[in-house]
Amino acid sequence: MKYRILTGLFLLACAQVGFGQQYSNHVQVSQRVKSLESAHGSLVKLRSLAKTAGGKDIWVLEIGSGNRDNNPAVVVAGGVEGSLILSQELALGFAERLLAGASTDSVKALLASTAFYVFPNVSPDATEQYFAKVRYERSGNASATDDDRDGKINEDPFEDLNNDGLITMVRVEDATGRWKTHPADARIMVQANTEKGEQGKYILISEGTDTDKDGKFNEDGEGGVHFNKNLTFDPPYFEKGAGEHPVSEVETRAVLDYLYDRFNVFAVIAFGPANNLSEPWKYDRSKAGRIATGILEQDVKYNKLASELYKQHVKQKDAPAASPQKGDFVQWAYFHYGRQSFSTPGWWAPKFEVPKDSASAAKYKPNADKNVDVDFIRWAEREGQDVFVNWQKINHPDFPGKVAEAGGFKPFVKTTPPASAITKLTDEHTKFIIALAQNKPQVDLVNLKTESLDNGVSRVTVTLQNKGGFPAIAQVARNNNFVKLVKVNLVLSKDQTIFGGNKITLLNELDAGESKELTWLIKGKGKITLEAGAPQSGVKKVDVNL
Amino acid sequence: MKKSILILSIVLVSVVTQAQDAASVFRAAGTPENPKVQVSWNRYYTHSGITEICKKLAAAHPDLVKLSSIGKSYQGREMWLLTVTDFKKGKPEEKPGFYIDGNIHSNEIQGSEMALYTAWYLAETFKDVAFIKELLADKVFYIVPTINPDARDHYMKEPNSPHSPRSGVIPVDNDRDGLIDEDGFDDLNGDGHITMMIRKSPTGRMKKDPNDSRRLIPAKPDEQGEYEMLGFEGLDNDGDGRVNEDGTGFYDPNRDWGWKWQPNHIQGGAYKYPFSIPENRNVRDFVMAHPNIAGAQSFHNSGGMLLRGPGAAEDADSYNNDDVRIYDAIGKKGELLIPGYRYLVVHKDLYTAWGGELDWFNSGRGIFTFSNELFTSYMYFNRQGSGQEDMYAFDQSLLFGDAIVPWQEYDHPQFGKIEIGGVKKNFTRADPGFLLESDAHRNMAFCIYHAYHMPKLVVEEMTEKSLGGGLTEITVVITNKRMIPTHSSIDLRYKIERPDYISIQGPKVIAGMVVENRDHNIAREQKNNPNVLEVNNIPGMGSVTVRWIVSGAKNYTIKVDSRKGGVVTRGK
Repeated sequence: MKYRILTGLFLLACAQVGFGQQYSNHVQVSQRVKSLESAHGSLVKLRSLAKTAGGKDIWVLEIGSGNRDNNPAVVVAGGVEGSLILSQELALGFAERLLAGASTDSVKALLASTAFYVFPNVSPDATEQYFAKVRYERSGNASATDDDRDGKINEDPFEDLNNDGLITMVRVEDATGRWKTHPADARIMVQANTEKGEQGKYILISEGTDTDKDGKFNEDGEGGVHFNKNLTFDPPYFEKGAGEHPVSEVETRAVLDYLYDRFNVFAVIAFGPANNLSEPWKYDRSKAGRIATGILEQDVKYNKLASELYKQHVKQKDAPAASPQKGDFVQWAYFHYGRQSFSTPGWWAPKFEVPKDSASAAKYKPNADKNVDVDFIRWAEREGQDVFVNWQKINHPDFPGKVAEAGGFKPFVKTTPPASAITKLTDEHTKFIIALAQNKPQVDLVNLKTESLDNGVSRVTVTLQNKGGFPAIAQVARNNNFVKLVKVNLVLSKDQTIFGGNKITLLNELDAGESKELTWLIKGKGKITLEAGAPQSGVKKVDVNL
Repeated sequence: MKKSILILSIVLVSVVTQAQDAASVFRAAGTPENPKVQVSWNRYYTHSGITEICKKLAAAHPDLVKLSSIGKSYQGREMWLLTVTDFKKGKPEEKPGFYIDGNIHSNEIQGSEMALYTAWYLAETFKDVAFIKELLADKVFYIVPTINPDARDHYMKEPNSPHSPRSGVIPVDNDRDGLIDEDGFDDLNGDGHITMMIRKSPTGRMKKDPNDSRRLIPAKPDEQGEYEMLGFEGLDNDGDGRVNEDGTGFYDPNRDWGWKWQPNHIQGGAYKYPFSIPENRNVRDFVMAHPNIAGAQSFHNSGGMLLRGPGAAEDADSYNNDDVRIYDAIGKKGELLIPGYRYLVVHKDLYTAWGGELDWFNSGRGIFTFSNELFTSYMYFNRQGSGQEDMYAFDQSLLFGDAIVPWQEYDHPQFGKIEIGGVKKNFTRADPGFLLESDAHRNMAFCIYHAYHMPKLVVEEMTEKSLGGGLTEITVVITNKRMIPTHSSIDLRYKIERPDYISIQGPKVIAGMVVENRDHNIAREQKNNPNVLEVNNIPGMGSVTVRWIVSGAKNYTIKVDSRKGGVVTRGK
């Protein structure tokens, strides 16, 4: 019996880790993080920061050797948007691959000088909907919310009217409808353009009934607050999923409390809907006011650097533009946390081109307005993927006597690649994160010079330098209390005194490659120690004998 | 000897806690002459003093005052809540609630005494004053005397200036050097007060006032000065060339609230995120759990201001004309009730402040909220324009020098020979003892006026009209007898609170509708669940009309259930 369980576990582990061909639910993710800790005890500390309203752990893996919290660190976060199922595979898969390679010299050196804080999933309540009996794309946690603010909670949920385990759409033939079928593919619904004299034929609603008879469909079902709408930068107030105020949730508080305690973090990589890695953010003077809403001028080059590293390692092309959204994580990490902040969905459907040869091309009606849904379904079908539920007649109680059909794209298909793609995507993103970490800010002291002047007075000169690829302090963080200043501290022995120079020097900028000369006049013999750096850039110590 | 001290103190304690012999006192108008709980309103109380008063009030007035805690502070002190209402009349959660707190800034202490005074006054005058009796039948007061108890005690027990700590006591690295609270004030002369350091200097631009040498004044432009100012008492403890740059705190608890919050590099004093400070989190949890709160006051000091939001010009949109009219009415009344106080708007008249408490109450919760800045230099000689000169004169003539430390020489390790002296921590911002009760009473009266104008809903009219065939049309008018609506305009904009429910119980309801124009018979039918009609708002000094078509209209009950307007019923 025991043997069989073990074999079963082994097979399971192979299926998930060895071959990486499946998406994991919360129980499986929990097993994977625990087995990482037990396999790599000296390099990994696993913590549960909180239990969500749905009773799930917010896991964080702390990875690195030695006193890892003293090294510059990279945060990697999955589940920023709970409906992006791939994101937790990329985050957790990164940790697994990094540790699997921990015995190689390059990774060993990286782990000795850099820490990684990996959150596999900060929206575990939402993600679980992917594995539920009735699946729908969900980003809200298990907090009970009154989404339409009418005083009743979860009173009008989705319903699986055709019993296929998927929440899709319902179209109802109706003279007042604003929707019609797309000329290139009658399965795809588009809004009639009344300006062009087009007439709608269908009402299009989500799959469900108007349970509370308020004229709206499924406006308040299970699914509470979205992690990616619940942060402090430009938050949406009183919108569905936003929470009663920013950082209202157990998950958001736990993650922020944890990160605000970790001054050594220099970069945050989020697997989420926004994408500033395929296309870096651009500087816009009109957004640089007292409350900046766009990247600051001197930070642009670092987003470019990250983007170049990304495109070097992650081979997918033609990423659709993906702007940040109100209250999201990537903007919080940059504007409020003050760190280098990058985000990518990790995957997007490749561009579909109608084949050049006329025989194949004839199969496709022209997609004149370049409708993305038409392209997506063409791509998916060419790849042999079943992404669509064909429209089928149902009886809809709210539309008696009318022709109603359930159908549409299956949930998750547009953002979630087939499981067979996970391995390659994880490999590529792992290489990118390692490359980014190797560019960490690194404070050094070079060109140390000691001159002996008369009467026991010495002049000590040294150059402070950032030899990393990222700045010690981003421009956005120069006045941010939660980012430490670069500090140069002179520690004297007994009977030594300073005649010139500061005992403590604090700097709020030190760009990549920037250097600065410092000099002191010291009276007295013996050892002095120079310490320079900050948690996010590492600290360099030099002893000098006078 | 020891024994007699013990007996004496027992006697003293029992005198303090018991009412006096009725024959030996005579009532001053408007003040309970023989209260069950004797409190001296001319001094300040530490957290343990507040605790004791709260417990006595709850014990002496079990049907009027209940004591509980909304949670613990960072250092584990209870955050006491006094719930004051006529518990024999209705459920507290079904009455409009008025929330009062004080002391969010730890050095702004007197808000606690004013909050306590309010609880005490309501409880002690209930039996004699009809207005108070009716007020406590209609409304409930939620009073949290201090929402920063740790730093309140720090202010009172540790060396501080009138302006410190302001923060709470969570340790913060203010100067971003990796060390925490490593260079705070130093009470160099050991008097418990952080006063000023000055030094004789040939280039100093200050001199001692020839009429009162305790006061430093600027030399005239063409006059040689004598002194330079070196800041608050302290040393450069960490050798970084700066003095007092990283002491207790620092964060500002009033930049920590969940409406238009901004981080510390934009809004100085902000901590990590809204409600990242545990004391504020407790207030937030309490307010979220008490949606009946319709009015609020957060006491600060000083300057004699009756402040409303918004805290930032960019947020002006959150206070529209409908709401501002009500704020104006209450604020103007306040200027009359409290001479020397002015009704002002934070961002226009004071400064920009993102993430303030009053903005979250107003815009995040739809609660009409004021912050009174208690005490004003007007009160020195009851005249406008009092400055530093009056302040020193007031100390000399009315406090007999108790509030100012005279200059005293000191050998400072970094500055050399200096002088230390100036204003004690309990002067300039906190009310002097003999003014405290009067200021408390006037500010309480302002709160009562504000609280009185929270909604009072009445089922004003129930009219029946027979429609034949056993059907009856019942028209019901609900009025709100006060200024404040059940939903402020920002509440309506964001649907912060649910609609008000007006329901009929008894007959079979055929149809229900909200009457929009009774004269022209224009009504909006509610098809779903017509027994419980939903109205978005019951306006201040206004009404809503609803109508049902029913069969079997013999007996019925009309119930109005409003989050901020309370629950009222009327039967037929």
